Amino acid sequence: MDEAQGYVLLTALALPLLAALALLFLPGERKMAARYFSAVIGAILLGLSVYVFLAYQASGDILQMRLQWPWIEHVGFLGANGISLHLGVDGISALLTLLTGVVAFAGTLIAWKLEYRAKDFFILFWVLIAGVYGTFFSLDLFFFFFFYELAVVPLYLLIGIWGSTRKEYGAMKLTLMLVGGSVGIWIGIFAVVHEAGLGTFDLPTLWEAGRNGALSPEFQKIIFPFFAVGCGVLAGLWPLHTWSPDGHMSAPTSVSMVHAGVLMKLGAFGIIRLGIQILPEGAEFWMPALLVLGTIGALYGAIAALTQRDFKLISGYSSVSHMGYVLIGLATLHEVGVSGAALQMFSHGVMTALVFLLIGALYDQAHTRDLSDFGGIAKVMPLWVIAYVVAGLANVGLPGLSGFTAEFHIFVGAFKTYPVFGGLAILAAAIAAAYMLRMFGVVFFGPLNPRWRDLKDLSPIETVSAALLILSMLAMGLWWSPFTDRLANTVVNLPGVTS
Amino acid sequence: MAEHAWILAAVPGIAFIAMAAAGRKLPRQGDWLAVLCATAVFALFFAVLASFLGLGENAWPVLNSIEWTAIGDFHLNMGIAVDPITIVMLAVITTVALMVNVFSVGYMKGEPRYWWYFAVLQLFVASMLMLVLADNLLLLYVAWELVGLSSFLLIGHYWERRSAVEAAKKAFITTRVGDVGLLIGIILFWDATGTFNILEIIHYVEAGAIGDTRLFVTMMFILLGAMGKSAQLPFHVWLPDAMEGPTPVSALIHAATMVVAGVYLVARLLPVFELAGDALLVVTMVGLFTALFSGVVAFAQTDIKKVLAYSTVSQLGFMFVALGAGFVGAGMFHLFTHAFFKALLFLGAGAVIIGAHHHQEMGQLGGLWRKMPITAATFLIGSLALAGLFPLAGFWSKDEILHAVDYGRGSWAFLLISLAAIMTAFYTARLFIRTFLGKPQDAEVASHASEPGFIMTGPLVFLAFLSIVAGFFIFGGFGSAFGFPGGFSEFVFLHHPEVFHVDWGLVGLSTALFVIGTFGGAWFYWNGRLDRATVIAEWQPKVYEMVQRKFYFDDLYQFFIDRVVLGFSYLVSWFDRFAVNDTGVDGSATLTGYAGFLLKHLQTGRVPNYAMAIAAGVVALTLISLAVGS
Amino acid sequence: MVPMENYLVLSGILFSLGVYGVLARRNAVLVLMSVELMLNAVSLNFVAFAAYLDPSKATGIVFAVFVIAVAAAEVGLALAIVIRLFRNRSTANVDEAATMRW
Repeated sequence: MDEAQGYVLLTALALPLLAALALLFLPGERKMAARYFSAVIGAILLGLSVYVFLAYQASGDILQMRLQWPWIEHVGFLGANGISLHLGVDGISALLTLLTGVVAFAGTLIAWKLEYRAKDFFILFWVLIAGVYGTFFSLDLFFFFFFYELAVVPLYLLIGIWGSTRKEYGAMKLTLMLVGGSVGIWIGIFAVVHEAGLGTFDLPTLWEAGRNGALSPEFQKIIFPFFAVGCGVLAGLWPLHTWSPDGHMSAPTSVSMVHAGVLMKLGAFGIIRLGIQILPEGAEFWMPALLVLGTIGALYGAIAALTQRDFKLISGYSSVSHMGYVLIGLATLHEVGVSGAALQMFSHGVMTALVFLLIGALYDQAHTRDLSDFGGIAKVMPLWVIAYVVAGLANVGLPGLSGFTAEFHIFVGAFKTYPVFGGLAILAAAIAAAYMLRMFGVVFFGPLNPRWRDLKDLSPIETVSAALLILSMLAMGLWWSPFTDRLANTVVNLPGVTS
Repeated sequence: MAEHAWILAAVPGIAFIAMAAAGRKLPRQGDWLAVLCATAVFALFFAVLASFLGLGENAWPVLNSIEWTAIGDFHLNMGIAVDPITIVMLAVITTVALMVNVFSVGYMKGEPRYWWYFAVLQLFVASMLMLVLADNLLLLYVAWELVGLSSFLLIGHYWERRSAVEAAKKAFITTRVGDVGLLIGIILFWDATGTFNILEIIHYVEAGAIGDTRLFVTMMFILLGAMGKSAQLPFHVWLPDAMEGPTPVSALIHAATMVVAGVYLVARLLPVFELAGDALLVVTMVGLFTALFSGVVAFAQTDIKKVLAYSTVSQLGFMFVALGAGFVGAGMFHLFTHAFFKALLFLGAGAVIIGAHHHQEMGQLGGLWRKMPITAATFLIGSLALAGLFPLAGFWSKDEILHAVDYGRGSWAFLLISLAAIMTAFYTARLFIRTFLGKPQDAEVASHASEPGFIMTGPLVFLAFLSIVAGFFIFGGFGSAFGFPGGFSEFVFLHHPEVFHVDWGLVGLSTALFVIGTFGGAWFYWNGRLDRATVIAEWQPKVYEMVQRKFYFDDLYQFFIDRVVLGFSYLVSWFDRFAVNDTGVDGSATLTGYAGFLLKHLQTGRVPNYAMAIAAGVVALTLISLAVGS
Repeated sequence: MVPMENYLVLSGILFSLGVYGVLARRNAVLVLMSVELMLNAVSLNFVAFAAYLDPSKATGIVFAVFVIAVAAAEVGLALAIVIRLFRNRSTANVDEAATMRW
């Protein structure tokens, strides 16, 4: 059973790669074919992701659906299982797999509108998605890093070619900062493999090594920052977050969705997989620092968002703020706090994907994102406004939507370990209400600016996409236990996590 | 039935989903569904009440909960708890909700987004019922936020109007600041006791699970939430602005139910407050300041809804004072009676607004009683109840509060709260006289004014009836007959029943307060004359302006937000752009580029140079290896 | 048997001449010839050590043969470049071929 389910993971990983390959042979002018094909692939992936999430047994082993294919063994310093394609999911990656499926499908539908080189866009898009799935599934350091990079690199082209507003600058900055972070991860990976002396990149083996003392505490303390900062760049760790507002500002809609929705989570996921799980002692030593940075990020992003004039900058800073929550949750090393971090990754993913979807839908018509240009557009775009209000309220942490579920867990964890920082985090949530409502007031309500009389509401495809994301938010907001149950076993058994 | 009281909240919840999804397409945009739903909830309440009383005192509180989520050692249950306090709240909510739903059918006729209005009204009722049924603080917080959301949506119902949008925003953010405190308080409770369940928390605290200082701090955070929702000083600023919403909404949310959630929360946690050092004294002080402050501000308001809004703030202060004195019965009783007569006054104001074609400035009204006799009569009853005329509802509850304060806090508080009671009578008299009596101020308005139809006067009459009789629930016999065995104060109690007996001295004093206030108001404003009031205003123009500008609270907050908060935000944005991005990130990129610019000169393109470099390198390496080797 | 030192000294002289030629001459053909001189010096070393240390093994000699082969290929390529350079610039002076820079 386990093995057979492992092939599900393999399919989810291989399918986007094969799709990209197949699209290569499609003539570029047959855009509709590329779109339909991609939509079908997206739907299948969504189905597979939902299956992975539902099939993950809350009460079973921590790692499930494992599949291991040896690749390089007994060569040079590599011993048994040196490098192998080792797939599997735990509770956290099962949740993030679901997130990827939802956001990727929604993003595919939104990319429907793209006219310029549509086929090439989808090729890169699917490579990126394959990288994301691969990172979540990999239980082998080598492949983890391989897929991690595979997810980052297509971004450069996707933003550089299909972007807007200073796209070369945004793309270049984003890529350089992320690749810079990767250097740290790469150094850390080799240090760990060398120090453990087991001649293997296999993650479960290395986790064991981190727990049983094969990696000395001093070593762990030195290496942990490489992972934390390297992955932290992608997770929007303050003060290495500046690629986020600029990157989002220049990225095309569906790339923004996938990027803020899923890719930023790779960073936080990396901190768990590499940092906490391989180097528990290092994590324990450095977590207070991460907590401070996370809290600064949460407050700083929220405060900076108060006075932004560009939709996407508001969302970019709000992402910094919300990823700050994720870091706070991780840094508590408390079972509820870490669960909250995982929930927040999902919550922020769907919420921010929805926000970027909506901003894109508006920008395509209005060709401006300046808040003060708008006013009263609830009159002409009611669906759009309702969707945005739902997303905004999730952002604010309104009970009944996913944001509250996640933030509540983080607050509880933070109060148990660092009460003052918990209080600051709640304060940031109050500021979130201010910047969200300010935007609602200026843009959606008030008298209609006659310039926007002809704006069109969401198209049916966009509505489907938005509805999917809203459903995800409601599901997590209204019914917690399917999500928390799957996380519980994994989180409680993370090394160093207290109760 | 009592253990399934959650059905009360589920019915309007389902109605909300149905109406939000399909309301616009239903015949009459689904208003009948809203009224039907409110009627059903009203009827179900009596089923719950009957079952609750049938179970008997030993079965109270009636509990029902399920496990909601669990992570490791962290368990969370969700459920309902029905006890007498809950029953009182249910009575208030279901009654006023029904009246408001019916009234709205007339009031909102032809308004934009008619269906949406009714849908959100159901959402509000559902969340409000959930709030009072919740057996744990987390569910309470969830409902607390949801009533805030419905309030936000309803205040901003006319979102084409900039002022309505601003008011909605202000209400949401102001209460949100209080909610931050509430959430912190709730989590601090959990931290100390490991549970969110209200009864368990009380139990743990009584067993001494939380240290003194910590308990006091926790209660102060909880109180912040209560103050935000119940518009106590200094969070009161949102409530008068919330009058931008449709008037029936003001009656339901901003007079009878949502704003008393803070009072309810304090009453619910009163056993904990009592143990938390001086926490109750703080509650009293907050209530006193609020009652006096808003009483004064109400003198100078000219919009009839604004007067009522400040009056509500003031009356909420009364309730806080009673709770602060440790008398849950008195606080809840005033909540109970106030809900009816203040809802009546707001609905009456709504009738005036409709009758006078959306004129609500007192300067344009006057003499309306000829044109709108039913409205005027019911409004008079509501006013007298508010002012505290024997034996209307407000009299009994105010009497209870005076008694509680005298007994629990001493004469200084008694004196101040008496002063606030005189103010109440004064501004109420002013409001009624200037609106309904005297000569019409604006002939145009008066000539077109007319009594609204039965759909609107019906609820007025019903609420007027309640405003007369609700006070009698305090008596044992009357209370038992209508569902509050032993009278209100004996029904709602925590440690020991607060036995009620009429204290004729207090009755006399109370009546004297009413007479002073009312006749003071009449002397100033009778027959439409304003000269006496104007003399005072002109005698001290600065003071008058200060009162009219609400003691500059709003201006102060506006200044704080514009200059401090937004200024800080600009600073952070600037820092992010120039220090972090342009210096840190772009700076390192520029530095790399500049290094390349310098080093590129090494690349001459001449082969002999490279060859020389290689040779020199070899020599250098050889020398180094010789030096190291030896 | 000729002592080892003689071979090494000869090879050292040849190599130094080659280095001098590469660094000091400006004519591309002469630079090329100097490079050949250095290669031959190395080959000589290989063969000398091969015969001196363990005559039964041919490792050094094989290397020398490799060097000769590579040198031949290199000369073929390099002369072609020199000819292209002369055709384009009418000179074989390496100092003037300095366009391969920033």
